[in-house]
Amino acid sequence: MSESDVRAVAAPGMRAVAAALASLPMVGPKRLRVLVNELGVERAWRTIRGECSPSPRLAALLAEHDMGRAWRAAATDDLVQRVAESLAEHEVAVWLASDAEYPEVLRSDPAAPAVLFARGNPTALQQRRVGVVGTRAASAAGRFFARRLSRDVAVGGVAVVSGLARGIDAAAHLGALEAAAAPPIAVVASGLDVVYPREHAGLWRDVARHGLLLSESPPGCAPDAFRFPLRNRILAALSEVLVVVESREVGGSMITVDEALKRGVTVMAVPGAPMSTTSKGTNHLLSQGAAPVRDATDVLVALGLDHQRRDALGDNRVAPSADDRVVLELLARQPSTFDQLVHRSRLPIQEVAVRLGRLEAHGWVTANAGWWEALVAP
Amino acid sequence: MFSTVRSTTLLGVVGRAVDVEVHVGVGLPGFTIVGQPDEVCRESRDRVRAAFLSRGFTWPNRRITVNLAPSGERKGGSGLDLAIAIAVLVADEQIASSLIEPFAFVAELGLDGSLRGVVGAAPLVGAVRDRRVVVAAGNAASARAAGADDVVVASDLAHVVACLRGETEWLNDDTATHTTVFDHVPDLADVRGQPVARHALEIAAAGAHHVLLVGPPGAGKSMLARRLPGILPDLSNEQSMSCTMVHSAAHVSMPANGRVTHPPFRSPHHSISLVGLIGGGTAAMRPGEISLASEGVLFLDELGEFAPSVLDALRQPLEEGVVHVSRARTTLTFPARCLLVAAANPCPCGAGAPGVCVCDDAARAKYLRRFSGPLLDRFDLRVSVGLPRVEDLVDGVDGESSNVVRKRVVAARRLALERGGCPNAAIAVDELDRLAPLSVAARAVLRRELELGRLSGRGLHRIRRVARTIADLDGAPEVVGEVHVAAALRMRTSLSSLSGGAR
Repeated sequence: MSESDVRAVAAPGMRAVAAALASLPMVGPKRLRVLVNELGVERAWRTIRGECSPSPRLAALLAEHDMGRAWRAAATDDLVQRVAESLAEHEVAVWLASDAEYPEVLRSDPAAPAVLFARGNPTALQQRRVGVVGTRAASAAGRFFARRLSRDVAVGGVAVVSGLARGIDAAAHLGALEAAAAPPIAVVASGLDVVYPREHAGLWRDVARHGLLLSESPPGCAPDAFRFPLRNRILAALSEVLVVVESREVGGSMITVDEALKRGVTVMAVPGAPMSTTSKGTNHLLSQGAAPVRDATDVLVALGLDHQRRDALGDNRVAPSADDRVVLELLARQPSTFDQLVHRSRLPIQEVAVRLGRLEAHGWVTANAGWWEALVAP
Repeated sequence: MFSTVRSTTLLGVVGRAVDVEVHVGVGLPGFTIVGQPDEVCRESRDRVRAAFLSRGFTWPNRRITVNLAPSGERKGGSGLDLAIAIAVLVADEQIASSLIEPFAFVAELGLDGSLRGVVGAAPLVGAVRDRRVVVAAGNAASARAAGADDVVVASDLAHVVACLRGETEWLNDDTATHTTVFDHVPDLADVRGQPVARHALEIAAAGAHHVLLVGPPGAGKSMLARRLPGILPDLSNEQSMSCTMVHSAAHVSMPANGRVTHPPFRSPHHSISLVGLIGGGTAAMRPGEISLASEGVLFLDELGEFAPSVLDALRQPLEEGVVHVSRARTTLTFPARCLLVAAANPCPCGAGAPGVCVCDDAARAKYLRRFSGPLLDRFDLRVSVGLPRVEDLVDGVDGESSNVVRKRVVAARRLALERGGCPNAAIAVDELDRLAPLSVAARAVLRRELELGRLSGRGLHRIRRVARTIADLDGAPEVVGEVHVAAALRMRTSLSSLSGGAR
């Protein structure tokens, strides 16, 4: 299909049709690329409906798995109507590769999504961008670091790109929102109206309000497992630098790293303790030559930005007293239960309880499942 | 022609006096029992008749009608056998009616006429304790434990009749005097290390706070729970009596002297049914485990394995201290003033520790859903118990013994009773400011927790009650200080974090 045909679909009604194409059964990114980018939305739609004869390329596609019949059954005016209503209801915009809003960096991507669904502020994409990703089962220290790092790079004017998953992703978005500076960008796997995980409903809303939510899945699309690795390629493509905060040796973060390396995106990793299971993957990346991230300055330098902000980004927590420091130092070595702390500190139970309370109030330690963790070395 | 003999029957955990009326009259020979006897009770016809013939008494070959008065209530059990036999003898004028006036009879008859013990002797005899009670040898201890002053023992029906006529003496019953009471309560000294869990038990005992122990398998949760009865204050006379009645009625093993003197410890298996835990049943209304544990400890090991409906049924009895069991015929009330101790693994894999736990989010969420929030909320103390350290197990010194801890518990409990008239766990919300005033610093700590949303209104009250107990144990009977509130907060791990997850 020629460039002019692709331009021709940019009429408003065609966006709903493009979304409807994405909603058809058995349509993944590859088939959608064939339909939208090669044929054009209108032509593809009419061909599926049997209103015009298919090109050899499409005929081959329709013959696979009896797809022609399934698509014809699904491709009704009713589907377009429903999709259009859903887009309007959830304020979801549809971007095609021809649109001005479509991210520039994705246009040249070999695996670019043919259709992007977006909610929020499209200008967020015009900022410098850093991907902050990591495991869902992160340690408290990892989440704390991700939050601070994201806050600090956002203050430095860099948009944080992440996936709104549990653990590191959520912490990264929280930090970026906290900064109230560069609006964050979230790339999710499900439809933009399907909040997953459910407990992040508030976070989704906030990211959509202050930043940008992106997905290649049409509204109503469930968070199927296969969509997450696909999402990761978009996340990697949108990042100029990818920071892995915590990761096991295999997992979603490592898929993102692979996608980033394919695209020549700089991969950086946060060093962790050698024995820590949640840092096995990041430590492996470091040994493979990834640049270490100790704080936001490392990231800003990697992006070639002004890094004279170190003092401004410093720790503003109230310094612990000498007494409290004793407990904090014990916790900095390893996460402990209250019981273990009492034993190791050889202090009375009530004394340890009070000190923990003070440290927690000032943000030095956090409790998780009965385990106390230090949020940074004292 | 006609006679009335006093006996009793069991209704739940209390005995009811029953008058066994027998009429022997003209008509076709026959033997009927009326007055709502149950199956066992109706079968006593055959036992009584056989006992008569075995012991050489003449069976009146006339029309015999037995009425169990009051006839409106259902009578159960075999404890009426002896009374029916005596009543028949009196009605048939083989014994003078004046001889049986001061007596009550509680025993089952064997076919050979021998007397046998019955289930629930304590509450049965308790209902007729003002009379001279004739029981089988096996029930003598229970009968005395029930507070009956005049208990006499006989070997068989002929012996009873001979004694009534004054021809022989009642049997000498001295079981209670020379049996040594052996009931071993494990000692807290066996627990090495675990300072926080030990302290939590002490607080639980002093303030009657329910405890949830969360920890990996092998951490010693059951070991700790089993040592809780040993540090509870001794039972008062009244409590001991109430326990004795319930235990006797439920036919669970009792000390040889027939009296429950130590706080009971019950640990039902997690396959227990709702009726088993709460009490009830159709034929005999039996007290459940919660009533058997009344005045003592109810230990639910593997809390997550219990059926949710069973656990939810615990909520109301725990609040009220009694169980009301209603069935079509009757409504009974059982005591349920127990201290609930539960143990749970932190997550399905049991490890809990960050980096060691291998559970995924879905598995953990599924596991957590088994615990109903309102039930978890009943636990004032929720402590995580870690695996004991090797050096504690091998080279460690024994912890404080139960006796030492119990002294502190008793002192703290007395303090609470003198101040508020109830254990600290039962302080009413509107009394908290009077009985458990907070210091300025303590108030600030609680305000911060509330502002952060980590504490609910109800949680606040519970923390204040626990802090009150900690202060009492700490020798600070007036104002509750910051340290006490901080310790109370540390001993109430939040619900969501029960999972041990790294989220």
